[in-house]
Amino acid sequence: MKEQDPTVFIVDDDREVRLGLESLIRSVGLRAAIFASADEFMAAPRPDAPACLILDVRMPGQSGLDLQRELRGAGIHIPIVFLTGHGDIPMTVRAMKEGAMEFLTKPVRGQDLLDAVQKAIARDRTARQKRAELSELRARFDSLTPRETEVLNLVVAGLLNKQIADELGTSELTIKTHRAHVMEKTRADSLAHLVRMTETLKRSTAR
Amino acid sequence: MRAFGHRDPQNLRAGDKQVRTTQRMKGTFISPDGSSGSRLGARITGALLRYIAAIAIVAAALWLSLALQAPFGNPFWFLFALAVISSTWLLGKGPGWAAVALSSAMGLYFFVPPYRGWTINLRDLPFFATFVSCQVITSWLISWRGDWEAALRHARDELEVRVEERTAELKAANDALLYRISEQKRAEEALQAARAELARVARITTVGELTASIAHEVNQPLAAVVANADACVAWLALPAPNLEEARAAANRAVEGATRASGVIARIRSLIHKAEPQRGPVQLNQLIDETIAIVSGQASRSQVAVHLELAPDLPEVPGDRIQLQQVILNLAVNGIEAMAPVSSRPRRLSIRSSFDRDRREVHVLVQDNGVGVGGDAMTRVFEPFFTTRTQGIGMGLPISRSIIEAHGGRLWVQSEVDRGSVFQFTLPAAEGRTA
Repeated sequence: MKEQDPTVFIVDDDREVRLGLESLIRSVGLRAAIFASADEFMAAPRPDAPACLILDVRMPGQSGLDLQRELRGAGIHIPIVFLTGHGDIPMTVRAMKEGAMEFLTKPVRGQDLLDAVQKAIARDRTARQKRAELSELRARFDSLTPRETEVLNLVVAGLLNKQIADELGTSELTIKTHRAHVMEKTRADSLAHLVRMTETLKRSTAR
Repeated sequence: MRAFGHRDPQNLRAGDKQVRTTQRMKGTFISPDGSSGSRLGARITGALLRYIAAIAIVAAALWLSLALQAPFGNPFWFLFALAVISSTWLLGKGPGWAAVALSSAMGLYFFVPPYRGWTINLRDLPFFATFVSCQVITSWLISWRGDWEAALRHARDELEVRVEERTAELKAANDALLYRISEQKRAEEALQAARAELARVARITTVGELTASIAHEVNQPLAAVVANADACVAWLALPAPNLEEARAAANRAVEGATRASGVIARIRSLIHKAEPQRGPVQLNQLIDETIAIVSGQASRSQVAVHLELAPDLPEVPGDRIQLQQVILNLAVNGIEAMAPVSSRPRRLSIRSSFDRDRREVHVLVQDNGVGVGGDAMTRVFEPFFTTRTQGIGMGLPISRSIIEAHGGRLWVQSEVDRGSVFQFTLPAAEGRTA
């Protein structure tokens, strides 16, 4: 699976600012897509690629902070670099709490913005990778039968095959077969690997 | 007299005076009612003394008559008349009648034959009857005249008291009126002070809002300048510089810088005119300038501003800054009133016209915002009344006071969910016909 080129989305109601930022982003070889409002951005299709969003806080209609909340609510994980003309502390705190990458004050230095954008794209790439790995892992574990899941839980809990057989009221041989299926389906190299994967899944579900 | 219900000190004093007057009146005209024993005693003693005096006078007349009769022979009847007259005149009605009775008896006894006897000859009867009649008539005439005089005196005194009473009442009313006038004056002064304070507060608020607006207006083009200049540099720094992109970015930077300097120029022209002055004001120009100030807010709020300015508008005498504040207030109000509206295009119309007959300039600011209902509409010009969550409700009262100070009128028509129309008139400058 070849990864697509990263895209930088720019949402700003001021045409010249919008075009300037787009030009700046393109000059370093990144793809840029510009939008005059939050609604326009929401309506546009987003390619399946690492991305970041440069967002003006103060806009007519939906503000930047509103858009941030809406994206979060819709389960869209995209790192946001905020631009503001009048950043005050409560606003910054709110945006950061909601997971903003950066909060830059207009007029912003080109290099500062590019640094923030590169950092955001790198983070999105890692996050996307993690999400992909996690969903892969989940798919593997989801392929287990209910009986196999029972056996998995007892194995991970540290029980021996004999103990598991007693617990489930069956023969040690049957357990060995189930166990082999579990190791195969989850592509675990060792018991330790299986335990790690289980823990990773548990943590992601708990979050 | 309900209006003087509250008892101020002066009113109280007037009341005291009235009480005193009434007491004196009683002492003079109304007989003591006998509730006091000593007073009754004094009265009886006084009456007794007067009767004794009457008897004494008659006795003196008798004595003198007898004394004079001895040498001269003729009876001196007329001395009795003198006694009756003097008794009635000096001592009053009762003693007068006593004197009449006594002198008649004395005359009968001493001077009507047979002398020193209570009988009378038939021949002398007319004479004696005439004598008694004369006495009675004299006494009656005198006492009647006395009564009449007493009545007159009484009436006069009563009149005097009434005049005094009325004078006191008038004085009390006058005092109360003066008190109320001074109260009202104080209230007016306080109102004026409050109004001045509010105007000051509103001006500061407006300055604050204006500063924030200016900061945004200047910052936005600057952001564009920096972003485009950075992009331009980046395109030039490439191993194979992209001149086309660099040129486009540089052009946008220039546009942004021009925009910023335009904002600065507008602010400078505002500040230059900050001195309060009364001069000829061209309202169309003022409207244009004011709309330039709010255009940023209007476009951010997706409001289309529509101007319809009469070309023949004469100048009005006035304070440019104050009038600009009014137009600014009305325009910003209109824009904000449309913020919750999403079902129709937001449109702010400003029209100016000239009424030749009344020589008035007329300005109309119309929005199609949320509008206000009947009760709220009558209150929009009250200080601190506001339908917005932000705002202190001072814009319209101050606008109205400014327009009225210029000799004009400011009023509103509004309909809920349809929008509002604010209109004001200002008298046109003299001497120039457009």
